[in-house]
Amino acid sequence: MRNLINFLIQYSVLFLFLLLEIISFSLIVNYQDYQKSVFLTSSNSVVSGLYKVSNSVVEFFNLRTANDNLSEENTALKNQIIDLQNQMAALQPKVKDDSLNFKVPPQAEYQLISAKVINNSTNKLLNYITINKGSRDGIRVDMGVINDEGAVGIVKNVSDKYAVIIPVLNQKTELSCKFKKSNYTGPLSWDGFDYRFAQLNDIARHVEFSLGDTLVTTGFAGSFPEGVPVGTIENFKMREGEQYYDIKVKLAVNFRTLSHVKIINYLNFEELRDLEKKAEEQ
Amino acid sequence: MILFLQNILSFIILVLTQVLVLNNIQFLGFINPYIYMLFILSLPVKLQRWITLLLGFALGITIDIFSNTLGLHAFSTVFISFFRNDVIKLFTTIEEGSNPIPSFHSFGVGNYIKYVVALVLMHHTILFFLEAFSFTHIWLIIFKILLSSTVSILIIFAIRSFSKK
Repeated sequence: MRNLINFLIQYSVLFLFLLLEIISFSLIVNYQDYQKSVFLTSSNSVVSGLYKVSNSVVEFFNLRTANDNLSEENTALKNQIIDLQNQMAALQPKVKDDSLNFKVPPQAEYQLISAKVINNSTNKLLNYITINKGSRDGIRVDMGVINDEGAVGIVKNVSDKYAVIIPVLNQKTELSCKFKKSNYTGPLSWDGFDYRFAQLNDIARHVEFSLGDTLVTTGFAGSFPEGVPVGTIENFKMREGEQYYDIKVKLAVNFRTLSHVKIINYLNFEELRDLEKKAEEQ
Repeated sequence: MILFLQNILSFIILVLTQVLVLNNIQFLGFINPYIYMLFILSLPVKLQRWITLLLGFALGITIDIFSNTLGLHAFSTVFISFFRNDVIKLFTTIEEGSNPIPSFHSFGVGNYIKYVVALVLMHHTILFFLEAFSFTHIWLIIFKILLSSTVSILIIFAIRSFSKK
């Protein structure tokens, strides 16, 4: 017994070392579960509070570009309004003449919630984005995130006031997208090299496409509506004896300068998911 | 007591510098220097090992919470905390009864450089391989390790050469 105690005392440091390493390692391996425990990630309020302060300083330096983008978007929206007004004006007399032409507009399925990025990285293999809106503002897990340029990522976990997004620039993400022209679909993944480019997989030999073709989201998962731009084909090659193309995609979003994003609230998400679940169970 | 307060202060300053400044350095998309382990490197030589280990774990977890990488930094920091004493023994001879804080002055320039390079390389190697969790992009990872370590080591030397003694 005494020997045992002596032994334990003698190697206590080694045991402590092993214990701590095992704890750390199991934290790494079980990270997916711990995502749920908002406390230990950067959506916890102390950490996000700090990031918010730091962001308010950094944001100042990006104001000029942000302003430029806003004014550009403003102009585009104004143009759209003018277009629509013109169309409405053109339709007006017809509606009055023949009431059968009048159509009930389809109920809006998507709603946008705008949010500000308060923490973001592009240089790791597993990048995450923290934003300043949370469940209080109606954000749920699995909602799609876009900005003015295209698809950004998917909401991973949510606290009261903050949320963490897992962007396309993360090796754990696979975004289902398709060619705008031909509707062929394939998963988009990121290899960790460059924040501007990603890879499109599973495009078979017989599919026809060319450089510069646009990729858009499929809208299958319910996170994104159909047709949000993801990127354009930058380069592709076919290896000898392979069945699938290696396609390099230039991402539509510049993740380095991300400052404002919009979260897509798909109003029928629950209904869609329940229906699909029911179909699987039968 | 003063030493204790100094260490708490340096802990906080290093963590803040790491998460607010260095984690945002995106030079070439490859370099992300980590200097927070300077805290572990600068603990007194004769500090009991179990305290070093617990401090390493606390430091790693703090960095992890800020960068959404639970366990990653904790694992690498605990690792270098454990092997710190062996590295010190390997490169230096400490006089009986003295308990210096590692620095250019107390270790000698050459020995201190060896000490820092060894531990930082160890830390970065474990960190980047755990982050990738596969050997698929081994050359990319090695490239990242070498670049980031170089920058980290240079920053650490710069900080240490300003401090007195």
